[in-house]
Amino acid sequence: MSSISMEKSASMGLKDLLGYLLDSDKVDSVLTMRRIPETGAWDLALISDSGNLGEAEPLAPVMTVNAGKELSSLSLSGKRIAAVLKPCELRALIERVKREQGSLENVLTISHTCSGVFPLEQAADGSMDELLPKYEKVSSMGEIPSSVRDTCKACQHFIPMDSDILLSAAATQRPGEGCVLYLGSEKAEEALKEFKGNRDDRVFDPSSLDRTAAARKKERDRLFTSMENDCSGLDGLLNVFGKCVGCHGCSRVCPICYCALCDFESMNFDYNLPYFEEHLSRKGALRLPADTVMFHLGRLTHMSFSCVGCGMCSDVCPVGIPVAAVFSRTGERTASLFDYVPGRSLKEEIPVMVFKEEEFSDLG
Amino acid sequence: MNKEFVPRITSFLCKWCSYTGADLAGTSRLQYSTSIIPIQVMCSSRVDPVFLLKAFLSGSDGVLLGGCHPGDCHYETGNYHTRRRFAIVKEVFESLGLESGRLKLSWISASEGPKFARIANEFTEEIKLLGENPARKSIFL
Amino acid sequence: MISGEEDRMDAAAGTPYMLRVENGPEGSVLELLGHVIGSGKADALILPFRVPSGDSFAWILFSDVSLLKEAVPFPATMPVQGGKALRSLTRKERGNLKVIALMRPCEIRAGIELSKLGQVNTENLILASYDCPGAVKLEDYVSDPASCDSSFSDMRSRGEPSGNVRSTCSTCMDFSMVDADIHFGYFGIEDGRMLVVPGSPAGRALLEDLNLEEEEGLLPQWKAEISRLAEKRAATREETFRETEKRISGFDGMLATFSNCIGCHNCQSACPICYCRLCYFDSEVSGNDPEALMTAAEKRGGISLPPDRIMFHTGRLAHMSLSCVSCGQCSDACPVSIPVADVFSFVAERTQRTFEYKAGKSDGEALPLRRFLKTELDGVHDMVKDAESEAASHE
Repeated sequence: MSSISMEKSASMGLKDLLGYLLDSDKVDSVLTMRRIPETGAWDLALISDSGNLGEAEPLAPVMTVNAGKELSSLSLSGKRIAAVLKPCELRALIERVKREQGSLENVLTISHTCSGVFPLEQAADGSMDELLPKYEKVSSMGEIPSSVRDTCKACQHFIPMDSDILLSAAATQRPGEGCVLYLGSEKAEEALKEFKGNRDDRVFDPSSLDRTAAARKKERDRLFTSMENDCSGLDGLLNVFGKCVGCHGCSRVCPICYCALCDFESMNFDYNLPYFEEHLSRKGALRLPADTVMFHLGRLTHMSFSCVGCGMCSDVCPVGIPVAAVFSRTGERTASLFDYVPGRSLKEEIPVMVFKEEEFSDLG
Repeated sequence: MNKEFVPRITSFLCKWCSYTGADLAGTSRLQYSTSIIPIQVMCSSRVDPVFLLKAFLSGSDGVLLGGCHPGDCHYETGNYHTRRRFAIVKEVFESLGLESGRLKLSWISASEGPKFARIANEFTEEIKLLGENPARKSIFL
Repeated sequence: MISGEEDRMDAAAGTPYMLRVENGPEGSVLELLGHVIGSGKADALILPFRVPSGDSFAWILFSDVSLLKEAVPFPATMPVQGGKALRSLTRKERGNLKVIALMRPCEIRAGIELSKLGQVNTENLILASYDCPGAVKLEDYVSDPASCDSSFSDMRSRGEPSGNVRSTCSTCMDFSMVDADIHFGYFGIEDGRMLVVPGSPAGRALLEDLNLEEEEGLLPQWKAEISRLAEKRAATREETFRETEKRISGFDGMLATFSNCIGCHNCQSACPICYCRLCYFDSEVSGNDPEALMTAAEKRGGISLPPDRIMFHTGRLAHMSLSCVSCGQCSDACPVSIPVADVFSFVAERTQRTFEYKAGKSDGEALPLRRFLKTELDGVHDMVKDAESEAASHE
């Protein structure tokens, strides 16, 4: 597999690539973050006219929506799309494709090493602009920016797994350094046949980010230990999730939660008066609406092993519950029961869809 | 505590094996714990893991899930799925410091009346040691 | 609006009662409610309780009166709209459980709208409200409960919204008596006493045997204070609505206001009126299938994702503004601080006025879209006639 280098920043190089893919009719549309000129707001855009790429900010450290989630449904249209995805968004896409919610057939995935995204509130109120220079400086040194989502700081999978094209985004933070595109598939080779740039057979060396990986591991341990302390036992669980207002925003923005009708919003959890009367007679009291903690335990059981730790859930929570930290921590454990890593490979089946005849001999 | 704690153990038992095994314990006049509250399901894989959560959060002191031995499922592969789902629920509990000892998976065949009685009694004793499920009294769930 | 409130106060079912609040207003109200349960006139209460982490509240349905002392009848913030809590309890068939719910006026109004929408059954449900100075923004409350409790207490003593209160509260004209069965009025009445006003025969029946003193003397000063506060609110309302109108005007205005929207639909989930299990704008018929989106991207050169966010907001306005009670839950729920409630309460006043309809009144008036007159809305009619004649002249 080859690599292509350009004497421009990673962001400019990517924009050139997207323009080339559109203009040479290799794809019908490209998916990228952009900044809305009139308002300065951040946006995920599906662009078909390369003339609109001026607004594109493909490496913007912000996630208004998990792009893997949006892309998966678009990919079912049969039209060709090139998408710039953060590593967790790519993993989410893979997880959704496994669930028949998307297809990789007509999709060219372009992913990059990621230093994390700013919380939505900072992206929305403009404070992100002030913090950006420091973010770029810190991440270029291989360190973790302090202003990103907590699950970003703790993310162990910040190097994309298996994208058609890989880009080292650390180059954006080093002015003057060129941009290198690592081609990882036949599809990429074919699509970039006529793309201009210096070709050689360089391969991406993940060890160049070992320092970052070590820092991330420390952060992960710190975050997960703090969750273990805060969210332990029924009391801990109630302390963390007790103020949940049941908006279900977390599951709505979650790329893995794809059910058109969530079990917990269905008639299965819609109660008749006898249910309430029975609860009253037994417990003397119950919360309305019911099933606050149930929803979270249920969602953990249903999808935690596929959680990619993107952090959208925590960001939309109106009361600031650290949903992402809890879910990614438990998710790491439920996934490792099956040596599973969500999004690592399309060949790895969803753990609950398969089984081994001999396993978990300690159970039962 | 003036009254002795009698645990309530919601028990999902598959019709072909474990429920029949429980029936056999009964017809054989084997004494087993009155804490067992049996719910028959066609197959242990009918048990949505959410049932286990609901039983626990509703205040069951213990939740028992009984199925056929792996390889003997009446529907061939049901209990293999059951096993994985149970493993996940157990791990969710453990990761959150919830008492996973309140959940039990047990393979009990139709002919294993004595095994059923033994499991029922042993599990009841384990639950007695754990005490009443704190979820019983919790109103903020 | 001011005269509407006075009418309601005058039409209250008979003489109001007075409650002596020696152990503070909270304690006395809870004691009264406890007596109602004790006397068997009601089986259960719905009241706010502080959650275990102490930084928010939850609605609790309870019949065990020993829990009363932990209830917080007048919470500083509104995490879950009371209408939603009523919906979850009474949407399905009602039984014999007699329940009293003590909620803010806008929550009562939401409950009444929901009963018209078939989502709340008010049979065996007694609704009780209280003079409300506003609700502190949820996000602010969660980050500093103690100081918000204190600023809310201050708001209550003055009867006025201030500080980190929701912006819709400052423009609310329904902050006192609404169509609840019982109302606790205390603005303008000195410490030590509170009015308990029956708003319906059912409310009166409940209060009758509680040995409360009847007291008409406090009415004039209470009404006068409500009037005075309402006038202030009316001025703020007019000014705020003008600002909102300017801000959202035209396509550009809407785009700018909702520019940061990420399509999470938190506003819709938090809204008490939006009860649809599957929102129209999530359904297959709303044109968000992949083929349609790709075609749109090709036609326009690009589209924004998630798709149709402006459509969602304008659509939600079209669908529910007639029932909007301007509670402000939507703004509080928005993760990117879009002033959704400001937009919705402004538009809602206009749509409701078009039909001379006021959301939240239980006077038997049907929802505007469920009835019609053969002759009405002349302005629209003329627009149609003009369009028809223009079309005919082209043939």
